[in-house]
Amino acid sequence: MPSDTVMAMTELKEAAARSQRRAPSSFALKQVMAITGIIFVAFVVIHMIGNLKVYAGEDSFNTYAAWLREVGYPLIPKQGILWALRVTLAVSLVLHMASAITLWARGRRARGRHRRRGMKGFSATSARAMLPGGVVIFVFIVVHLLDLTIGAIVQSGTYQGPEADGTVHAYANLVASFSRPWMAIFYALTMVIIAFHVEHGLRTVLQDLGATGRRFRKLWTILGGIVALAIVLGNAAIPILVLTGVIA
Amino acid sequence: MRVELEIWRQASQTAKGAFERHVVDDATPEMSLMELLDRLNDQIVGQGDEAIQFESDCREGVCGACGVTVNDDPHGPVPNTPSCRQHLRSFGEVRKLRIEPLRSGAFPVIRDLVVDRSSLDRVIRAGGHVDVAAGTAPGADSLRIPYEEAELSLDFAACIGCGACVAACPNGSAHLFGGSKLAHLALIPHGEQERGRRAEAITETLDAEFGPCSTYGECVKVCPAGIPLSAVAAVHKERLRGVFRGRDN
Repeated sequence: MPSDTVMAMTELKEAAARSQRRAPSSFALKQVMAITGIIFVAFVVIHMIGNLKVYAGEDSFNTYAAWLREVGYPLIPKQGILWALRVTLAVSLVLHMASAITLWARGRRARGRHRRRGMKGFSATSARAMLPGGVVIFVFIVVHLLDLTIGAIVQSGTYQGPEADGTVHAYANLVASFSRPWMAIFYALTMVIIAFHVEHGLRTVLQDLGATGRRFRKLWTILGGIVALAIVLGNAAIPILVLTGVIA
Repeated sequence: MRVELEIWRQASQTAKGAFERHVVDDATPEMSLMELLDRLNDQIVGQGDEAIQFESDCREGVCGACGVTVNDDPHGPVPNTPSCRQHLRSFGEVRKLRIEPLRSGAFPVIRDLVVDRSSLDRVIRAGGHVDVAAGTAPGADSLRIPYEEAELSLDFAACIGCGACVAACPNGSAHLFGGSKLAHLALIPHGEQERGRRAEAITETLDAEFGPCSTYGECVKVCPAGIPLSAVAAVHKERLRGVFRGRDN
């Protein structure tokens, strides 16, 4: 066979392999990432506002924690809203991570053998940090749940779960946990990573949901920066203040 | 002035490529990258060797034929400028250039610095056109388009299809290219009867042959036509519009 025929055939085969329809489409996966991402940002912001109760003292913080377990009662059974949120967040987490990994693999394949080198600038750096940052955030979620929700493996020595009568020890658990320096530092550093993840994520949401307006894009970008900053300032301050003895 | 070059040589699409070292001793600051390669080729052919293959046509930045990667930057170190308009005088003290083809899985190397960019043509074939009623030309005032919208549409139409955005993207995404086409055609009434179908066809081709966008923002740094990042958003805007509308238009 002449070599150019062989080449034409390889080319055709490669083109066929490249143009294989993949399900779900990258478009669909990006929509999933955008919507679940917005759910997470909303959750993190609300969680952060709740955390601020720690500055109002033990009673305020514990009352808020207890309230979370009976929101909407008696219309909705106790812990009803809590579990609805937990299920939503768990499903979102699985979808967000599965989509992210699939898209990452597709991007690598589309780029081919020669990787892009020499990228500089804020956007490229934070884009590159999305996947490794996401892995850190996932580890943090597991640690955080074990530490302060479930009370297993990594919990502090004095951890106490909620009582049968609805009394919670959220404040004492938090102070005990953050009195361990490595845990406090892990929480604070993760908040910085979350902030970069949220900032870049919110800017990517603009692209995924198709916001083309110049003014809206500018406004949203600024808003994303403010949200990211609020997450760091609001959350990361707590373990540091516990560690330095301001919150005790 | 002396310029040291490392140039990618690859005999065919299936051959293994490698960098080859060359020195041009009589380069001048006013030489563009293409002229530098011309000078080098004179040297190489003079020695009886095969000239380095590269693409270029107009050499004034309007055709989109040229495009090489210089020291990891698609088109070269000057932002938003095609390779043919990048001159040695603007490279500062840089006298060592590593020149390779525009890199992407969707751009197989044909030979040396020449890549096959027909994947971009397939995006255009899928939806980068409009159906028009043939026949007598309509009156000049029968289709009114506000000036601002026409200008904005033409800003997106400025894409010269060089493919640098794809080569700049670590994901090998062509969203800036596909989006510029979609934004351009969405802003004018021509071909609006197929707006939804076009969005679907272009998005599917982008999905099948290129990678997803992760907002690295690298594409807009290299685009010689200055297409903004909002073109990327236009891809999903048009596709979502089509999905919710569920019609051809």
